Amino acid sequence: MTSYFIRRFLLIVPTFIGVTILVFAVTRLVPGGPIERMLQEAAMAGADVAASTSGFAGHGASSLSDDQIDQLKAYYGFDKPVIVGYAEWLGKVVRLDLGTSTRYSEPVWDTIKDRFPISIFYGVTTLILTYSVCIPLGIVKAIRHKTTFDNLTSAVVFFGYAIPGYVVAIALLTVFAGNLGWFPLSGFVSDDFDDLGTLGKIGDVAYHAVLPLIAYLAGSFAVTTMLMKNSLMDNLAAEYVRTAIAKGMAFRRAVFAHAFRNSLVPIATSFGNNITLIVTGSFLIEQIFNIDGFGLLGWESLVERDYPVVMGILVISSLLFMIGNILSDICVALVDPRVKFGSGEASQ
Amino acid sequence: MIAKAGSLVGRTRSVLDRVAPATRLNPLTIKQWQRFKSIRRGYWSAIGLGIALLLSAGAELLVNSRALVVSYQGDWYFPTYGDYIPGRTFGLDYDYETNYRELKRMFSASSAGDWVLMPPVPYDAFENDLEAGVYPPYAPSVASRHFLGTDTTGRDVVARLVYGFRLAFTFAAILLGCNFVIGIAIGCAMGFWGGAFDLLFQRVIEILNNVPFLYVIMIVASVIVPGFWTLMAVMVFFGWTGMTWYMRTSTYKEKSREYVLAARALGASSKRQVASHIIPNTISVIVTFIPFSIASGITALTAIDYLGFGLPPPTPSWGELLSQGTRHLESPWIGGSVVVAMVLVLLMVTYVGEAVREAFDPKQFTYYE
Repeated sequence: MTSYFIRRFLLIVPTFIGVTILVFAVTRLVPGGPIERMLQEAAMAGADVAASTSGFAGHGASSLSDDQIDQLKAYYGFDKPVIVGYAEWLGKVVRLDLGTSTRYSEPVWDTIKDRFPISIFYGVTTLILTYSVCIPLGIVKAIRHKTTFDNLTSAVVFFGYAIPGYVVAIALLTVFAGNLGWFPLSGFVSDDFDDLGTLGKIGDVAYHAVLPLIAYLAGSFAVTTMLMKNSLMDNLAAEYVRTAIAKGMAFRRAVFAHAFRNSLVPIATSFGNNITLIVTGSFLIEQIFNIDGFGLLGWESLVERDYPVVMGILVISSLLFMIGNILSDICVALVDPRVKFGSGEASQ
Repeated sequence: MIAKAGSLVGRTRSVLDRVAPATRLNPLTIKQWQRFKSIRRGYWSAIGLGIALLLSAGAELLVNSRALVVSYQGDWYFPTYGDYIPGRTFGLDYDYETNYRELKRMFSASSAGDWVLMPPVPYDAFENDLEAGVYPPYAPSVASRHFLGTDTTGRDVVARLVYGFRLAFTFAAILLGCNFVIGIAIGCAMGFWGGAFDLLFQRVIEILNNVPFLYVIMIVASVIVPGFWTLMAVMVFFGWTGMTWYMRTSTYKEKSREYVLAARALGASSKRQVASHIIPNTISVIVTFIPFSIASGITALTAIDYLGFGLPPPTPSWGELLSQGTRHLESPWIGGSVVVAMVLVLLMVTYVGEAVREAFDPKQFTYYE
């Protein structure tokens, strides 16, 4: 078993290289990279000298000779063939250096680090709310299978499942923020956040978080609730629960002492994947609500051709994704001692 | 056996029976169809979806700026399909396509007995119907026949929705076809051969699953304006893995069962084992996947269009309408109509999917009252 997990961890390496080389090659082979973007911006800034901030921008694009462009390319490493460039990039990543953002001219890691707290806030809150609502709801639905309560909640839960989170987000934004004005249109906190007291700060964050949280929850609710319900029903139908009840055990006790514990196994299979959700958030939802998190950073850096940041985000998210998958399997192995990984097909 | 199957079919009076009375239906198929029908929510959703698809297939007859019928000086014209009819045909003074709404007004003003029959929504998805002195978007109005209003450039929302739906559904269906062909072929091969081939593709799938495909689409879209097929190619490139993985697992399971073993013992070739034994027995996996793949295809296309990296304007698209809706919250009919349309379509697709899954893979629970 241990050897299986060691092998899984080692397999991260080829996959990681495959993923990064693919995206790296795409960013290199596609024209219109960061240098062109800078020149374009410099051209715009050149017309408005006061607006120029970085050193070369003030000269305007036309005054930038080919020589200077080559220097710039060399500075960011765009002058080498893809494979060499990739090897250099990888060499730096191994030394925990993600490079320099072409947009902010600061280390990529610092740029990314700043966005973590916001994404983690949404991730953790979503996680806690999902599990604290879905598990009890799933239990009740399983016990009251095919009652009005079950059908009614199924309809609601299904609704959330069918509709993608970003559509929920747009609907909420249109109704509650745009027309009724109950909630703010965008952002993580208000502009006057720093002037508020501790309670005011908490209130402010919560006030801004209501709509995005609903959008985040809409999708995850359905999956977890139905997983909980179905797996509990499987277990309730199993012989050992019937035996327990036949022997006179109280139904409540049979559910909680026997069936419930066993039905947590499928829930555990998805637990590890939450690590990705916690950190990365949703691209679209962050974009719709203009929340300055990890997803929005990815989007902005793509639009602005800030490829070092794009690659940095890819490194972190793909590593987390793979580690999350392995953690899920470890969780399953911990919860269910019958699971033996590494022996043939069981590894799937 | 045949007679028995026939009588079963007769008793169910199913649609299948009317469509193909001569084919001998597998009793299992009949049972699955009955189960599907008994799940009311899914059954009615399937009918609703079918009607929606039929209507959108003939959308030119319902939502179009071209007239259905024009009667001019005793001759009848049907301009809906085919080449455009120049204005001169109807005694107008221009050679470009006739403006039928204008023609209708003209004919009804004169008393020559000519008439124009317009579709219920007399606008197509591309024309900008602008009123003098007022900027679009215009609010819904029955009088102007913009039943759901217009978007920010004066295009009819109903027309954009209907044609957008048709496009999105077509896209999702073709995407599904491509993904399934590749997925079934590679998945079966992986499960059937195993070994190095399996290992290689396992890695490939893992890599593709890890690449955020929106990133790639965005990078590609920033260089070339992606057309229908470019977008399709990128989405197939990243999309085939899901089906492949499921087919791999089920082929793997089926392969080790006695009936395949028996076929092999009788000397069936690998091709025959896969094509006539394994695939028919994994059909439930394949069928169950269809509705959910359609839903995810529509969702993905809309998301890409919403972000502005999808089909080029002025293609009618739900995503583009959604982004207009979020930018113009003061015109709630834009965002509202798309959201409602999406909710309806995706709910129906998901209900159908749920019913199909129930029908093909019934799970009978015993439960305590």
